[in-house]
Amino acid sequence: MTRLPPLRPRRRARRLVALTAAALSTVLLAAGCGSGTTGAGSVSQTGAPHNGGTLDLAFWPDNPAFACVDPFQTYWIEHRTVIRNFADSLTDQDPATGKIVPWLATRWKVAGSGKSYTFTLRDGVTFSDGTPLDAAAVKTAFDGNAALLKDLPTAYGGVYIAGYAGTDVVDDHTVRVRFSTPNAAFLQATSTTSLAILSPGSYAKTPEQRCLGQVVGSGPFTLDSYQPTEGLELSRRPGYAWPSSLNAHEGDAYLDHIKVSYVAEDSVRVGNLTSGAVDVAWPRNPFTPEQVAQLQGSGDTVVDRSLPGPSSALYPNTAAGHPLADAAVRSAVQKGIDRATYAKTIYGADYPVVQGPYDTTTPYAVSQAAGLAYDPDGAKSLLDAAGWAPGSDGTRVKDGRRLTLVEAITAETPGDVLLQDQLKQIGIEVQLKVSTGAEQPAVITSGAYDLIGTYYTRADPGVLQWILDPAISGSKALAQNSQTPATAAKVEKLFSAGTEETDEARRAKIYAGLASTLVQDGVSFPVAERVQRVGLAPQVHGFRYTSEAFGSFYDVWLDS
Amino acid sequence: MTLDVSPVSPVIRSVSPVLADPVPPRRTRSAAAPDADRSPRAQRARALLRRPGFVLALVFVVLVVVAALAPSLFTTYDPYATAPVARLTPPGAAHWFGTDELGRDLYTRVVFGSTLTISAALGAITIALVAGLSLGVVSGYFGGWLDAVLMRVVDVSLAIPGLLMALAVVTALGFGTLPVAVAVGVGIVPGFARTTRAEVLRVKTLPYIEAARASGATRSRILLRHVLPNAWGPVAVLAVLDFGVAILSVAALSFLGFGAAPPAAEWGTLIARGRDYLVTAPWVSLLPGLFVGLVVISLNHVARTLEEVR
Amino acid sequence: MLRYVLGRIAQALLVLWAAYTVTFVVLYLLPSDPVALMLSANNVQLDSLTPDQIAAARARFGLDQPVHLQYLHLLLRALHGDLGTSLTAHIPVTQLLASRLPPTLLLSSVAVVLALVGGVALAFLAAYVQWRPAKLLLTRLPSLGVSLPTFWVGLLLIQVFAFTLHWVPATGNLGWRSIVLPAVTMAIPTSASLAQVLTRSLRDTLDEPYVTTARAKGLSRFQVQLRHASRNAALPVLTILGLLVGATVTGAITVETVFSRIGVGRLAAESVLAQDVPVVQGIVVVAALAFVLVNLVVDLLYPLIDPRVVHAPKVVRP
Repeated sequence: MTRLPPLRPRRRARRLVALTAAALSTVLLAAGCGSGTTGAGSVSQTGAPHNGGTLDLAFWPDNPAFACVDPFQTYWIEHRTVIRNFADSLTDQDPATGKIVPWLATRWKVAGSGKSYTFTLRDGVTFSDGTPLDAAAVKTAFDGNAALLKDLPTAYGGVYIAGYAGTDVVDDHTVRVRFSTPNAAFLQATSTTSLAILSPGSYAKTPEQRCLGQVVGSGPFTLDSYQPTEGLELSRRPGYAWPSSLNAHEGDAYLDHIKVSYVAEDSVRVGNLTSGAVDVAWPRNPFTPEQVAQLQGSGDTVVDRSLPGPSSALYPNTAAGHPLADAAVRSAVQKGIDRATYAKTIYGADYPVVQGPYDTTTPYAVSQAAGLAYDPDGAKSLLDAAGWAPGSDGTRVKDGRRLTLVEAITAETPGDVLLQDQLKQIGIEVQLKVSTGAEQPAVITSGAYDLIGTYYTRADPGVLQWILDPAISGSKALAQNSQTPATAAKVEKLFSAGTEETDEARRAKIYAGLASTLVQDGVSFPVAERVQRVGLAPQVHGFRYTSEAFGSFYDVWLDS
Repeated sequence: MTLDVSPVSPVIRSVSPVLADPVPPRRTRSAAAPDADRSPRAQRARALLRRPGFVLALVFVVLVVVAALAPSLFTTYDPYATAPVARLTPPGAAHWFGTDELGRDLYTRVVFGSTLTISAALGAITIALVAGLSLGVVSGYFGGWLDAVLMRVVDVSLAIPGLLMALAVVTALGFGTLPVAVAVGVGIVPGFARTTRAEVLRVKTLPYIEAARASGATRSRILLRHVLPNAWGPVAVLAVLDFGVAILSVAALSFLGFGAAPPAAEWGTLIARGRDYLVTAPWVSLLPGLFVGLVVISLNHVARTLEEVR
Repeated sequence: MLRYVLGRIAQALLVLWAAYTVTFVVLYLLPSDPVALMLSANNVQLDSLTPDQIAAARARFGLDQPVHLQYLHLLLRALHGDLGTSLTAHIPVTQLLASRLPPTLLLSSVAVVLALVGGVALAFLAAYVQWRPAKLLLTRLPSLGVSLPTFWVGLLLIQVFAFTLHWVPATGNLGWRSIVLPAVTMAIPTSASLAQVLTRSLRDTLDEPYVTTARAKGLSRFQVQLRHASRNAALPVLTILGLLVGATVTGAITVETVFSRIGVGRLAAESVLAQDVPVVQGIVVVAALAFVLVNLVVDLLYPLIDPRVVHAPKVVRP
């Protein structure tokens, strides 16, 4: 190969230096031009609320398996926040006390211990398409939901209207809802987003159309567009004059628009908030302590509220042949979970430690801290007494079988691994079996698990029946497996009593007994409190959590 | 998922049928038959060892493989023992790579993670080699309609996006090292098949093959003893290169949520888990990521040097 | 020539059909019942419904027929342009693809252009620079590009350029500014591969006798490299274009997830996990079509750029 002599060294070197200098100066120039943006930490002007502005909100990804904004069908927490802002309910619930207050209905009467509810409706309420919200509209709404339930028995709102028999229009502003079996929880149900009232025109559409956004409500905002898994847009509804007493003002909402985007990566969502690209960051799982510090460091606020309903808990498989069929093993597991360290490690030093099978914002929730105390020595002696001797690698053995518990999960989290390690200390081997959402049903129905987690969100203790009562649970297998027959009978009696009891004091006592039973008998292994953590930019004022820890943006206003 | 980028000449010809009709290769080095005398090999080995970069890369790769086989040789910590008190400690004397969100030593997890990642990648490459070599040899030697059919089969697997197929395979077979290996391996087969085929097309025109046939050797004997040993050269280099691609594909699948059962510490899982702490504790994601990059670069360097020094 | 073109088109159609069928088979081998999956998406398991309710649910989604009938049904509809309805989004697959495809196409085009520019520039520099350390660095730099996980690079770029320097937004689908980071992330591995191929090819070409002749005649190295060597060295790049298209869809899956962009890649990942068979098949059809088309174009363009290819003597097969 013949090569001609290269350029003379000096010329070569000079060219190289020139090239490098040009590159460097370009980079420096660009950096200088780009750094003039305002971060979220700039001082904001506070003052009186005023109209205007678009609120940018970042959720975690939309539900890919069932993208829906129909109040009655969807269980997706983030969409229930959206629904709260474009559709109103008959009643509202005070987040601080759990008391039911008037909203679209000014008064109500309960008769037959929960078999008949008569509501007197507010005057002058209209849907955003102009149609009046009167007794006929409410009847159309409830009947429409019941009809949907016949076609789609799995619709989420079904459990709220269990035993629905029909609605009568007494007069233009009075409506009576009837049940074939007593439903003491119905009053609270009327305050939820699931039973929000939509216009009659919405019920003329198909369920799929409603899911895809063809819904009209009477709320302070209207749903302009919904692109499943892509984004959502709401804008102010002019002429709104019927907020509940829990809100800070009356009249139209302050915001012009609300724009929702779905951001998959947690770190990117947080970064969007700290860099000012969005105004609200709404994660599904609470911010890590580092992210909280990062947010507060750039001037953002973090507001918390525990989500009412079951806490983040594991439910056992007590069927014969599984280690957790033995009550001693269940008690040992209950004692072997260090909940305080869990909360501190995963969520931070100021995160609430779980108090029982229910989160603290659930009405009638009583602390079961005594039964949930961390007692590894007690756990070990229980297991020793039950015949599980420590094996060579630390895992206990009995009759040749290792004490292995299979926990079925869909995605590994640090919490799962921490729990695994905690139970390892008392000699229990936890296998984390990951399976896709597609395989989970098969895992559950075939009973190929020992521990499994699930949750619902509702500000009423009856919600736990949707997990533990085989008759109405979403998964019969899970419900039946979670309790031994003796315990199941006890629990069922307590649930029925609670559903039918309308006296407050007696109801409280029943649910306290229920929570205690669940903890003592090892039906629920509470691991953590479920908390909704939301990051707000400094220019956002007036944010309010509803009783269900959803967001109300009616009072929100932005600095100009 | 993989781009055939190593030996240029066979690949150009192998990717499109227009170019499949062999044009005399534009090579500056003659194609040596390994059955010839040994001294070129010794010369080559000496030439390789004289390059410090190659030696460094090779030593590093060997060390990583040794770590995969016997991780406890390289560290005394337990990769699974959580220590919440030591959560997110920066790299230092006690913890070379720092600790993760549960206080586990990150360096130990990287070392133990090598076992799973390397075995998954190795499994993938093995599957791809076996399938790719067979397809390529049969297709190239027999030609005709068999060749056309097999190459269309390869085209089909190229047409279906690799990661999509991997996702589907892993969803079908479940989580774990083996399904991931199968999924990644299936995606790499086309490159191996095409490269082998191109080499076989070149080799089968050589005189000694004709001589073997003339002297009565059976087809299988010709294929195994004469064609295959001469055809696997470029594929070997491709295999080393694609080992790195396999590692990255396994990491990508872990990022999307598929991978070894927790608390196992596959490299991809480590990088994926750490990404929530990129701002607040960057070492949790950066150091494993850089480590993976270093391994893949070393593999690439080894492969390229092997190819350049013939 | 006409026979050749028709033959290639026929083979392309065959590949398309095979891709569709293979996807169908793989998806139907998936472990669970799509109906069970859809119900569990509503937190309801099959065992809490009556057999009638289950049968009704199956009928709604056309899942009550035997597998081969479902396949034929789907194929016939596909041939008429109806790719079915998404099982999870309840809208026609064609409509879903029509809304998701353009952003991905835009992103991929920008990424391919960036990759071409970057790869070619890098390879050109690597061949042109004579100083050994720089040459070595430039030759080895592409290795870095293909060695780092894409999602990791994407997240790093976001942290540096979006959250620290505030040059571009991290997420979103508005305008050119939000395309920069995703396109760069996607372009890095492909430009690195391109650079590797082109560097090798340029080096081989620059060894040719005619290059020496051109230099002897007085042309500068730059002129020779640009006007004589490049055209011949560029042939492999054209070939690789087909593979780049395939790599694009793969890259789109991770990039669109990291940057929360609308697109076909993210749709693909979600649909596989949700076992939304019609959507996955629709995506595969589109991707396979793109791949096959690009390869067809490359095959037809090649003789135009390098006339020797068509006129080279065929080697006689034994």
